[in-house]
Amino acid sequence: MTPTGLEPARMNRKKGDKGFESPRPYKLTHQVVCINNINFQRKSVVGFVELTVFPTVANLNRIKLSSKQCRIYRVRINDLEAAFIYNDPTLEVCHNESKQRNLNYFSNAYAAAVSAVDPDAGNGELCIKVPSELWKHVDELKVLKIHINFSLDQPKGGLHFVVPSVEGSMAERGAHVFSCGYQNSTRFWFPCVDSYSELCTWKLEFTVDAAMVAVSNGDLVETVYTHDMRKKTFHYMLTIPTAASNISLAIGPFEILVDPYMHEVTHFCLPQLLPLLKHTTSYLHEVFEFYEEILTCRYPYSCFKTVFIDEAYVEVAAYASMSIFSTNLLHSAMIIDETPLTRRCLAQSLAQQFFGCFISRMSWSDEWVLKGISGYIYGLWMKKTFGVNEYRHWIKEELDKIVAYELKTGGVLLHPIFGGGKEKDNPASHLHFSIKHPHTLSWEYYTMFQCKAHLVMRLIENRISMEFMLQVFNKLLSLASTASSQKFQSHMWSQMLVSTSGFLKSISNVSGKDIQPLIKQWVDQSGVVKFYGSFAFNRKRNVLELEIKQDYTSPGTQKYVGPLKVTVQELDGSFNHTLQIEENSLKHDIPCHSKSRRNKKKKIPLMNGEEVDMDLSAMDADSPLLWIRIDPDMSVLRKVEFEQADFMWQYQLRYERDVVAQQESILALEKFPTPASRLALTDILEQEQCFYRVRMSACFCLAKIANSMVSTWTGPPAMKSLFTRMFCCKTCPNIVKTNNFMSFQSYFLQKTMPVAMALLRDVHNLCPKEVLTFILDLIKYNDNRKNKFSDNYYRAEMIDALANSVTPAVSVNNEVRTLDNLNPDVRLILEEITRFLNMEKLLPSYRHTITVSCLRAIRVLQKNGHVPSDPALFKSYAEYGHFVDIRIAALEAVVDYTKVDRSYEELQWLLNMIQNDPVPYVRHKILNMLTKNPPFTKNMESPLCNEALVDQLWKLMNSGTSHDWRLRCGAVDLYFTLFGLSRPSCLPLPELGLVLNLKEKKAVLNPTIIPEAIAGNQETAINPSSHAQLVGFQNPFSSSQDEEEIDMDTVHDSQAFISHHLNMLERPSTPGLSKYRPASSRSALIPQHSPGCDGTPATKPPWSMELARKGTGKEQSPLEMSILHPVATTPLSVFSKESTSSKHSDHHHHHHHEHKKKKKKHKHKHKHKHKHDSKEKDKEAFTFSSPASGRSIRSPSLSD
Amino acid sequence: MADTTATAGAGSSGTRSGGKQSTNPADNYHLARRRTLQVVVSSLLTEAGFESAEKASVETLTEMLQSYISEIGRSAKSYCEHTARTQPTLSDIVVTLVEMGFNVDTLPAYAKRSQRMVITAPPVTNQPVTPKALIAGQNRPHPPHIPSHFPEFPDPHTYIKTPTYREPVSDYQVLREKAASQRRDVERALTRFMAKTGETQSLFKDDVSTFPLIAARPFTIPYLTALLPSELEMQQMEETDSSEQDEQTDTENLPLHISTDDSGAEKENTSVLQQNPSLPGSRNGEENIIDNPYLRPVKKPKIRRKKSLS
Repeated sequence: MTPTGLEPARMNRKKGDKGFESPRPYKLTHQVVCINNINFQRKSVVGFVELTVFPTVANLNRIKLSSKQCRIYRVRINDLEAAFIYNDPTLEVCHNESKQRNLNYFSNAYAAAVSAVDPDAGNGELCIKVPSELWKHVDELKVLKIHINFSLDQPKGGLHFVVPSVEGSMAERGAHVFSCGYQNSTRFWFPCVDSYSELCTWKLEFTVDAAMVAVSNGDLVETVYTHDMRKKTFHYMLTIPTAASNISLAIGPFEILVDPYMHEVTHFCLPQLLPLLKHTTSYLHEVFEFYEEILTCRYPYSCFKTVFIDEAYVEVAAYASMSIFSTNLLHSAMIIDETPLTRRCLAQSLAQQFFGCFISRMSWSDEWVLKGISGYIYGLWMKKTFGVNEYRHWIKEELDKIVAYELKTGGVLLHPIFGGGKEKDNPASHLHFSIKHPHTLSWEYYTMFQCKAHLVMRLIENRISMEFMLQVFNKLLSLASTASSQKFQSHMWSQMLVSTSGFLKSISNVSGKDIQPLIKQWVDQSGVVKFYGSFAFNRKRNVLELEIKQDYTSPGTQKYVGPLKVTVQELDGSFNHTLQIEENSLKHDIPCHSKSRRNKKKKIPLMNGEEVDMDLSAMDADSPLLWIRIDPDMSVLRKVEFEQADFMWQYQLRYERDVVAQQESILALEKFPTPASRLALTDILEQEQCFYRVRMSACFCLAKIANSMVSTWTGPPAMKSLFTRMFCCKTCPNIVKTNNFMSFQSYFLQKTMPVAMALLRDVHNLCPKEVLTFILDLIKYNDNRKNKFSDNYYRAEMIDALANSVTPAVSVNNEVRTLDNLNPDVRLILEEITRFLNMEKLLPSYRHTITVSCLRAIRVLQKNGHVPSDPALFKSYAEYGHFVDIRIAALEAVVDYTKVDRSYEELQWLLNMIQNDPVPYVRHKILNMLTKNPPFTKNMESPLCNEALVDQLWKLMNSGTSHDWRLRCGAVDLYFTLFGLSRPSCLPLPELGLVLNLKEKKAVLNPTIIPEAIAGNQETAINPSSHAQLVGFQNPFSSSQDEEEIDMDTVHDSQAFISHHLNMLERPSTPGLSKYRPASSRSALIPQHSPGCDGTPATKPPWSMELARKGTGKEQSPLEMSILHPVATTPLSVFSKESTSSKHSDHHHHHHHEHKKKKKKHKHKHKHKHKHDSKEKDKEAFTFSSPASGRSIRSPSLSD
Repeated sequence: MADTTATAGAGSSGTRSGGKQSTNPADNYHLARRRTLQVVVSSLLTEAGFESAEKASVETLTEMLQSYISEIGRSAKSYCEHTARTQPTLSDIVVTLVEMGFNVDTLPAYAKRSQRMVITAPPVTNQPVTPKALIAGQNRPHPPHIPSHFPEFPDPHTYIKTPTYREPVSDYQVLREKAASQRRDVERALTRFMAKTGETQSLFKDDVSTFPLIAARPFTIPYLTALLPSELEMQQMEETDSSEQDEQTDTENLPLHISTDDSGAEKENTSVLQQNPSLPGSRNGEENIIDNPYLRPVKKPKIRRKKSLS
């Protein structure tokens, strides 16, 4: 039986659950995970799982489960041995050894591979055959218990072992292990149904060394010693139905802290860190209280655990009833800067406990609801904890981020719908990766996705009010908790899954409002809005003529139609106007309320009801307008570029009370370097009541203005007297007061001002001597003895300030940098850096902030030519064993060096680290930094860009990173940045042989290189949506080549493939011959070489010779070819089938066939043939050590 | 001969006591004595018919002779002290010699033998001049209650003190300046020292000494140094805020927490109890009955094995 046979049954199956249809022909109700041996020395795990499964269709004979990198020894169903196949196409995405190196091809192949084993679609890597003895049992839909013995040896992903190499037992060393991963990655450490939509109850057992603690999901029922008393077993029970993807584990010699406020909450940390843990978690109960109050719902699980571990994959990972944090979030009471950050992490993880862990999602396209809600309630917590200003500032920051990202990349789609499966309709064709699966997403995209999700939730709140919003959440939660308590009615459990439609329905039920347009605009569609605004005041009509233009043609933009709020501050007060943005109306007339009458001295009412005195002398005498704001509430995801006069920005900065408005005006004032701007900024800086972040950004703006005004600037350098007044001694103004950071606002200002001041430049474009001396004095007189808080961040920023003051060295004909020609100022700076860096070795600061700043500063000095450029220092700091922040800073410097000095050696060193570093986060980060600061880009000539590098990176993303989704996507990002979507330009084209025959060599190179460059441009400019277009453009002179390109690109997606060939049938330029020829000609002429030359017409002998030389793939037996042909019904399908199968004659290809099966049902037999084939490959690929597995290989009847 | 040697021995002991006055001449005496002994040995050798001798053998004989004479002196002193005297008499010497197995009766004959050589007395070295102690001021006479046989007062400069002090630096600016530069000097000296004694890295290839950076050394557990406050900071914290003392005591107890397995549970309990002060008082009573599964004792294995399998 094949899945195709199941298809109709699946469609017919109707369950009581509203709308949710399981992609699986069975329902999982309970799973046991038992890990009875964990070996830290060998980094191995041995255990078994047992899944209790109810078939939902009668003829179920195969069960697909998710499992990666586990070695499966034995599978039994109801105590009967069962045959199984383990097959993971994502291990190696592209199997052919051809020189095909274009990213388009890879992305399609990767997406296909991921969906071939996508648990959300009912697929899996592990395929178990139900023993024939049980068929009758299955037909009665009776319970099946699947028992799988497995082990893991040196897992590369999913479970991370941290084993410090010191003396002592594992517990004394602080060795620990924890589960980690991006999205559903549980399959990396035990076989399961790794989908967020398959819920079941859990029994988890972990036998660990007696000195260790195993922390996992649910309630710890008991801890029992083993017979030899050297180990103990932790028994956990999770009675709330939970998806496997939300199961986690952490084992280590943890110190245990029961939360003093909530005894059901337990905190764990590594040895010696207990005091920090106490301080860090002392706040958590307030977060609990907050969420429970706003959601009017108790925390759904009966307990909660936080575990702080080293070498974390991400800072925060939320799982059912437990969260895993990075140990680096722990801090003592002396640390200011880390405190809010850590608290935010705690709050974030807790929000995800409700939405994400307890409430799961139906499918990947519903992810935005969960991320949106958890992000939104986290925002509410921020508002309550840090205040409205911080909240609005954060929203503005997030909005700016998403806008910038969407404009850069072309859009983030929250709710992708994959109807029809046509690649042409791919909503994300502008991206270099597929958004169909979480595991193909670029990490940056995913973070932006989360950011957009919570912003959209906020938009919904704006629309329906917060009260309704919270009611909706409450409804979701109470439905879910009712469902979760139905212990034996597993069909009810789907109530715990949220879907986009269900969520929207709740909204409309609760609020009675139609938010469909909003959803359509922001959820079903990608892109943001870009407004350009300008205005004129019509004095005669006393009317404000506002013009609002939109740019909706650039990538990442969309057209906005609907209401838009505009706030106008007039002399008589502040007035809100709601404009209707329509198709063609650009101009909007807004009547003004006040006449200009400045002679009457009267207080001016502001938006918040406050009345203030203003000096109105700066404003236009004829106009009553003080300032205008477009969309002040940020109720559209937009970027606004608004033009108003400088004095209006200045008024806005001084008198508008909204921090977002202040921030915007600061940004705008950069363009108006006038004394008035200077005054406005200085006033803001001095105003204690003003939000500290606004004051901080005012510092930087002031520095920029001062630089623009350098020729007319009077008085001491900007901010100097201000700083002196605020932070220096009254009697001796050159000496800073001893540190007292009790007022955090002035602390942040005190930290920032010198950093901004160091950006000042004099007429020679050098940092004024006065400023440098000032900063050096700050460092010299820094005295923290009387301070309650640590000054490590402050000192680090002083070093940043020193680095900021560095300007490029004046170099006389490339002289070598030595000590002798060192600039005296730089010598002073270097002295400080040396001392700080050395002192760190003796008295390390918290999180080594000072070392980090010193490393950055040294790189700045190198880059500016004061110190010889040399990566050796950074490389030593980047080694494993340094604190992660230091490593990242050092690696950043190496990455920068690689770019600036175009060093092949350093690039290799980095690539080597990406492959071999023990810490997944560091590997990810290197890729990320290389992508952000690439050594070269696709349209750039660089000596680094060569074939070996292409091969290396290709290998990295093709097979080298199969154990870590995030890393693989990172490698894809890097590849994209370096080489673009199409074939890297540094590669010799495989078509070279052909082209050589046609034209002279000189003529050959040009047409291949030029189209590449144009294609690259085209990608960025117009986002070509179809491959045919692009390829056609690339190969204007050779139709046969055209064909070659296409089936390489889209070969994994049968739909696109077929449609392409359908197109070709209609295309006169393609010789009709080629449709029929390849298959037959190949079987006749070159039967042994298939991979490289699929679909290539054999009309040109040299061409096929060329390919024959290159073809290194597996051989295909002529016998099979002969079987293939008679079976096939149409030549078209022969062609497509044959080309895929020949290219992927490895074991993974049958998955693609299954993938295609839905569309092509008429080829069952033919397919079985392949299945046999693939099984044989499996035999070769996997060496099973247990006799049970040997059985599976022998079992012949899988495809019957 | 015996007399001369004896006096030489006494002389030497005398000079040793004299050596206390000035340390330098002690060596001189030692050398002189040695030289005399050497002459004695040489003359005895000549007397015995040797024409020449190796320096080493002369030295050895000298050493032997010296030891012998010293032993005579030591023993004689012991005998005399034994009889509660301070000055050795002839009889002491005689007893000593007898005790050492020397036939005393042969001695006068030996002393009067004909071919004996007479050695000139060693040149009298100048008696070392005791440097005059610096006399600063008049020694104070004894006060009436101190008997006159008590030693005199030492020179006034050894006990008289003249209090001198500068005005304390109260100028804030100077103080800060001083603190800053002191601190900076200490830091620089310390880091330079560390750099000199250990491995270094340098920013300039041609010059490794001007800006020496202590080489980066990876840690086995990097997060500990990065996260835990240093002792200095802890101390500061204690000084600035005594309410933080809770934490301080916790870290002192730390080794307890790292301990293992079964007793761990109880210890965790105590750690919770330690924290009590931060809780509202009403809660204190409940503390003992916290029901947290991680605090429960670990169960003994049951006879029935692995019920989990069921």
